[in-house]
Amino acid sequence: MRPRTAFRVGLVLLVAALAAYPAVGTGYGVRAMLQIFMWVALAASWNLISGLTGYVSFGHVAFFGAGAYTGAILITSAGWSWPAAALAGGLGACVVALVIGYPCLRLKGPYFAIAMLGLNEVLRALVSYFEGLTGGGNGISLPTLEATVPVYYAMGVAAAAVTLLAYLVITSRFGLRLMTIREDEVAAEAMGIDTARHKLYAFLLSAAGPGIVGALAARDQGYIEPISVFPLATTITMIVMVLFGGKGTVWGPVLGAVVLFVSQELVWARFPYLHQLLFGSIIVAVVLLMPRGVLGLLQQKYHLPRTI
Amino acid sequence: MNVVITPAMLGQVVVSGILAGALYAMVALGLALIFGVMRVINIAHGPLLMLGAYTTFFLYQALGLNPYLSVPITMLVLFALGALLQRTLVFRVVDAPELSSLLLTFGISIALVNLAQLAFTSNLRAIEYATGSYTLGPLAFSKSRLIAFAVAAALTGLAFLFLQRTRLGKAIRATSQSREVAMVCGVDVRRIHLITFGVAAALAGAGGALVSVIVAIQPEMGQIWTFKSFLVIVLGGAGNYPGALLGGILLGLVEQIASLFLTTQLSEAVAYILLVVILLVRPTGLLGGRQT
Repeated sequence: MRPRTAFRVGLVLLVAALAAYPAVGTGYGVRAMLQIFMWVALAASWNLISGLTGYVSFGHVAFFGAGAYTGAILITSAGWSWPAAALAGGLGACVVALVIGYPCLRLKGPYFAIAMLGLNEVLRALVSYFEGLTGGGNGISLPTLEATVPVYYAMGVAAAAVTLLAYLVITSRFGLRLMTIREDEVAAEAMGIDTARHKLYAFLLSAAGPGIVGALAARDQGYIEPISVFPLATTITMIVMVLFGGKGTVWGPVLGAVVLFVSQELVWARFPYLHQLLFGSIIVAVVLLMPRGVLGLLQQKYHLPRTI
Repeated sequence: MNVVITPAMLGQVVVSGILAGALYAMVALGLALIFGVMRVINIAHGPLLMLGAYTTFFLYQALGLNPYLSVPITMLVLFALGALLQRTLVFRVVDAPELSSLLLTFGISIALVNLAQLAFTSNLRAIEYATGSYTLGPLAFSKSRLIAFAVAAALTGLAFLFLQRTRLGKAIRATSQSREVAMVCGVDVRRIHLITFGVAAALAGAGGALVSVIVAIQPEMGQIWTFKSFLVIVLGGAGNYPGALLGGILLGLVEQIASLFLTTQLSEAVAYILLVVILLVRPTGLLGGRQT
């Protein structure tokens, strides 16, 4: 069997195993897998904008929160079913991304990164302020519904969809243009790439996933409040996962999400106070010592294809 | 909401805005210097301010040192810390793509905040000093804010004198204009980078010392300052050092005027909307600046 065929067969077996898992797994196991799916979708989404174009989004959790609120409001006030509300959450996140991305991504340089640094806090303030719609600091309680297994599948589909999207983008001309922007934006412009438009498209694609996942997480937890859906720590975790796994690759974010989530559950949960210090140190270490992440190293060493 | 705005209220808002603005300008000047000289946006600028506030607090608590007298000591401590960060970590990403320097300083920023939480706990701390205010006609001047304004204005003035008049200052400006040409003229660029980062950290530290008397001190107080400092730079025009002064005052005024109509919760949102609007309408800043 050629390596590529073996890889595809393995992938199909993995998907089949994950689909069968809720029938045999424990409650804890299903919840843990659900979380891993969520992190895969979040990390892979961050990778779409920051890994491919080099424009760092320091506030990606804002889209998670925007999706969570869009979904929760539609479920409670408009009586939508949760799968429809999740898709609407993705759309809501895209609208926020359009409003921020249009002015900031027309410019080169750090404007985008800094604008994203503030976005999260601002959305949190706005959500707390418009109490009539969002319940303010009291948050929103969703109607009780036992839906762990359906949400597990929905989260799994979201993770798979974002990973597939990353694969399609990275292997396409569109993806090549994004990577050209990352390597040299002036050269990209000189080649006739409409850089502002391409960056904005990548940004919209990267916002949809967190929006959907945010709405699903809101359904799963049954209760949201400003502090619980806009934590800076979530953005940090996404960034660490992608950097560790390998930015700009298809499987790097997946690898990073799985490895970091598992080590978090097994080891770091015992040192909650050192969490951020550890993540900060990982970021510094990866940037300085291993800028292409684990997958990047493997690609280099074993001459793996760029599109893995 | 029906608010009647009297001239006295408006005057008060303008005064408060200018008082706050000088502080913004000083802290932002540090960020602008690093950006101008190294093309690095230092995400850890705000956390450095936080460390400055803690330095002043502990000098006050342990030695009973007057918080304003400790400003020079705090600046020295932060200069050393800034130079150390530059020497050990940041210098490696000066020539790297922007992604690397943003991520690196972001990592440093997270680590510094967590270290502060471990070392100092997350308890709110305050320095009770220079409370109360002076009144002049209908206007009230909070003592701590007035002194902060005076010290910040003086330090910013000194920083400009240093940049304009001294050989070192000229070397810094030369490096910011063109690193290669500065190198050819015999400027030791690595040393300039070290000093620039130190001076910038010292300005953030001075900001922290002044702020420590005004607001509660806690490990997460810094992050918003990174954002606000950058906003000041965008308002004034990137690479335009005097622009930072105008930008600082403007941010102070806008925030204060917004506080007339909105709750304090939303004043951050106002600063943010200002950023987005400026980037839409006039991305090179109000005074114009060098395009990056």
